[in-house]
Amino acid sequence: MTDTLADHADSQLIKGQTLIEMVDVGKSYGAIRALRGISMKVNAGEVTCVLGDNGAGKSTLIKIMSGLHPHNDGRLLVDGKEASFSSPREALDHGIATVYQDLAVVPLMEVWRNFFLGSELRVGNYPLARLKVKEMRAIADEELRKMGIVVKDINQPIGTLSGGQRQCVAIARAVYFGARVLILDEPTAALGVKQSGVVLKYVAAARDAGLGVVFITHNPHHAYLVGDHFVILKLGSTALDGTRDEVTLDQLTAQMAGGDELAELSHELKR
Amino acid sequence: MSQSVQAAPATVPSEPSNRVKLGMSNRILARPEVGALVAAIIIFIFFMAAAPAFRSAESFFTVLYQASTIGIVAVAVGLLMIGGEFDLSAGVIVTTAGLVNSMFCWYLGVNLWIGAILSLAFCLAIGFLNGYLVMRTGIPSFLITLGTFFVLQGANLGVTKLVTNQVSSTDISQIDGFDSLANVFAFTIKVGGVTVWGTVIYWLIFVALAAWILTRTRTGNWIYAVGGAPDSARAVGVPLFKTKIGLFMSVSFLGWFVGMHILYRFNTLQAGNGVGNEFLYIIAAVVGGTLLTGGFGNAWGVAIGAFIFGMTSLGIVYAGWDPNWFKAFLGVMLLLAVLVNLYVKRLSTTTRKAD
Amino acid sequence: MRMIRPLAVAAVVALAVAGCSSGGREKTDDSTTSGGNAAGSSGYTIAFITHETPGDTFWDKVKNGAQQAAKDTGVTLKYSNDPDATKQAQLIQSAVDSKVSGIATTLVTPDALAGAVKAATDAKIPLVGFNSGIDQYKQLGALMYFGSDESLAGESAGQRITQAGGKKPLCVIQQAGSVALEARCAGVKKSAPATENVQVNGADDAAVTSTLQAKLAQDKSIDYIVTLGAPQAVDALKAIEQAGSKAKVVTFDLNQQVAQDISDKKIEFSIDQQPYVQGYMAVTSLYLNLKNGNDIGGGKPVLTGPSFVDSANIAAILPFTKNNTR
Repeated sequence: MTDTLADHADSQLIKGQTLIEMVDVGKSYGAIRALRGISMKVNAGEVTCVLGDNGAGKSTLIKIMSGLHPHNDGRLLVDGKEASFSSPREALDHGIATVYQDLAVVPLMEVWRNFFLGSELRVGNYPLARLKVKEMRAIADEELRKMGIVVKDINQPIGTLSGGQRQCVAIARAVYFGARVLILDEPTAALGVKQSGVVLKYVAAARDAGLGVVFITHNPHHAYLVGDHFVILKLGSTALDGTRDEVTLDQLTAQMAGGDELAELSHELKR
Repeated sequence: MSQSVQAAPATVPSEPSNRVKLGMSNRILARPEVGALVAAIIIFIFFMAAAPAFRSAESFFTVLYQASTIGIVAVAVGLLMIGGEFDLSAGVIVTTAGLVNSMFCWYLGVNLWIGAILSLAFCLAIGFLNGYLVMRTGIPSFLITLGTFFVLQGANLGVTKLVTNQVSSTDISQIDGFDSLANVFAFTIKVGGVTVWGTVIYWLIFVALAAWILTRTRTGNWIYAVGGAPDSARAVGVPLFKTKIGLFMSVSFLGWFVGMHILYRFNTLQAGNGVGNEFLYIIAAVVGGTLLTGGFGNAWGVAIGAFIFGMTSLGIVYAGWDPNWFKAFLGVMLLLAVLVNLYVKRLSTTTRKAD
Repeated sequence: MRMIRPLAVAAVVALAVAGCSSGGREKTDDSTTSGGNAAGSSGYTIAFITHETPGDTFWDKVKNGAQQAAKDTGVTLKYSNDPDATKQAQLIQSAVDSKVSGIATTLVTPDALAGAVKAATDAKIPLVGFNSGIDQYKQLGALMYFGSDESLAGESAGQRITQAGGKKPLCVIQQAGSVALEARCAGVKKSAPATENVQVNGADDAAVTSTLQAKLAQDKSIDYIVTLGAPQAVDALKAIEQAGSKAKVVTFDLNQQVAQDISDKKIEFSIDQQPYVQGYMAVTSLYLNLKNGNDIGGGKPVLTGPSFVDSANIAAILPFTKNNTR
């Protein structure tokens, strides 16, 4: 399955090259500061894991990178140039694709339509130009088979697939359409062990193909399996930032389980 | 690329057993319009048996005419509902379209074609406004278009009264352009001695066009996507704003089209007309298998829904039954249609699981 | 037909009316609204309350009559309406609360309005009924009544139809559940027993036409169509043409097009209850009562109809339909 990724991944990507850089980025909604002082890098061929509890600011961070909401403090650099996206389309045009946990696909639409949604193949570039339906079916079918995703029927609604399969279709789609940065929003959150394994293998494959991957999760075990760089968010700011060499799984787990606060709490609750 | 197929992991051997194609019958049953089609056939046979006057080509085409005046707007309403929105102003905009055309030309004494084009621009602007307000404010379209509905209903009456000093528009049959417009919007043709209204032909064209757009164009893909999962659609780069506003504008376009037909067939319009038809459009769409929550449905289903409405509303007359029961009967027929629809859909999904 | 266009164009050119094309608006003098005294010059305020559903041509004429009467007598007119009975009662109550000089109201749902009418009589505000409530107005405490007897109107329409050789009239009800409309059809049935009713959606001309077309196909013996509103009469003509039927059309009420069709002998006759008179008399009678203590009708209801309009008298009436007063 790595072959397919390598086929479509941008051959210009050099491992270690910085694709996205955030400098002191902040975001507030009205009077509420959702995020402040975030600095991080997304490098090609690396998995950057963003961990954090609910409400820590993970989703705000994704929204800034994927173009759903522009940031209002600091700088966002894409390929070294300052950028601010006003729509997901703009982010996509920069090769930044996001796969959301629950909004990855349109459940009632066929698998192949989902695969090509937003990047349909047409016979011409005029309004109401005919879709190349046969071709799209064939490509989607072939690509998914190559990636080891087995669907009964490429024409069945994607909602009939399992959660893991849906995530994989969404990731495969992003890679097929030339994503350079892949943002994965809790791809394993709703999945069982086996399904999670499939997705994680896929994440590793994307990394090996040279893509920059941002892996958002609150499961430190999953993060440590594939991560090169770890950022833990707490209440909208960075609580921990380190590479694989600097951070141990225990540290991650402790931080995620509540860290210092948990120690304090256990002290208070001591009977 | 071909090498990678061989390189694919252990899933390959299990593939043949896994890749079961759905049975033909299940694939057909899973289509949104099938339930409606079954209901339509049952109702058709029912009236063929119960109402002797129903059994003639003339009657059939009267039913088709009745269905077409509802069905044309219903097609656009169906698309809009697949796109996840409602338009309650669709009924009165038909009357608004005719009134704008009629009163503008009558008051200023200009050619009716100018008024027709002005009216089209006006209707499209209303559609745009509906869509723009829904998308900008995030208020449900049900509320926004309910507002538009009341505004148009009041303005239809108020402006008509101001301009003509009556509550109906004036006779425009002597104004230049009437005959040519009537030939476009309200023509009939004779087929073997039976009168066929042009609206029936237009209806079929619009339905075929909508069906094609839905399944064979990018726009159709986007309509399903914005209705089924708007956030997912937006995240993969589908222009939510443009798609939804376009849908609202197609409703007002087809509303205008029917408005033109009514104006050039009946010449004068009562300013209070059209109220209540918005529900008939929605009913046609729902009976035709369109999901109220969006993302599912198709154009032929909506057409069959409108046909069921035409058949029931006239069938009871052909049967010569007590008219006081009309609404009750219509309601029962529609409920039955929806139930058959649901039953067929459930049947298709359970057999699929048993596969 | 080919001759009409050039003639009309020539006429317009001759008139040279501000560059209007044929068939457009004619230059009108506002005779309907001119004349009379300044509003309120007599010092009286009269509340005029109806159960109008907005957009009905009939009520438009009632209103025009009331407004003209208010101008002529110099009273201030407060018009309000609500088709819902309880809300109409509130409108009467609020007129009483604002201490108007007199109240004119329709009494379509006597039981629902009784309390509010009593409040008016208790407050010594003269109240007259019009349009509906002919049997109950006295009992409720209204001083006078102006309107037509729906059942009687239907009966006399039925009589004229049977006299003309009609056997099977079809009575077209355009609004479900209306007492007045049902009474008209019941009246027709009294004098023409074979009468049948049909229900149509009055808010959709296309639907009215195809329903009537279906009915004509179902029952070929229908020889008269009685519509209860002017717009439906025009739809009925289209339906007859489509169905290739020989049925004749009779209608209640008038509008410009119906008047034209009567004069062209396409519609047999119209039963007019003269809505303009109802509005006009209701206001004028209150004015006379307040000013001069008059009582009109000698303790009995004053009937404003049925008045028959047919090809014999349409010539005199046609101009008034253009003013929207008949």
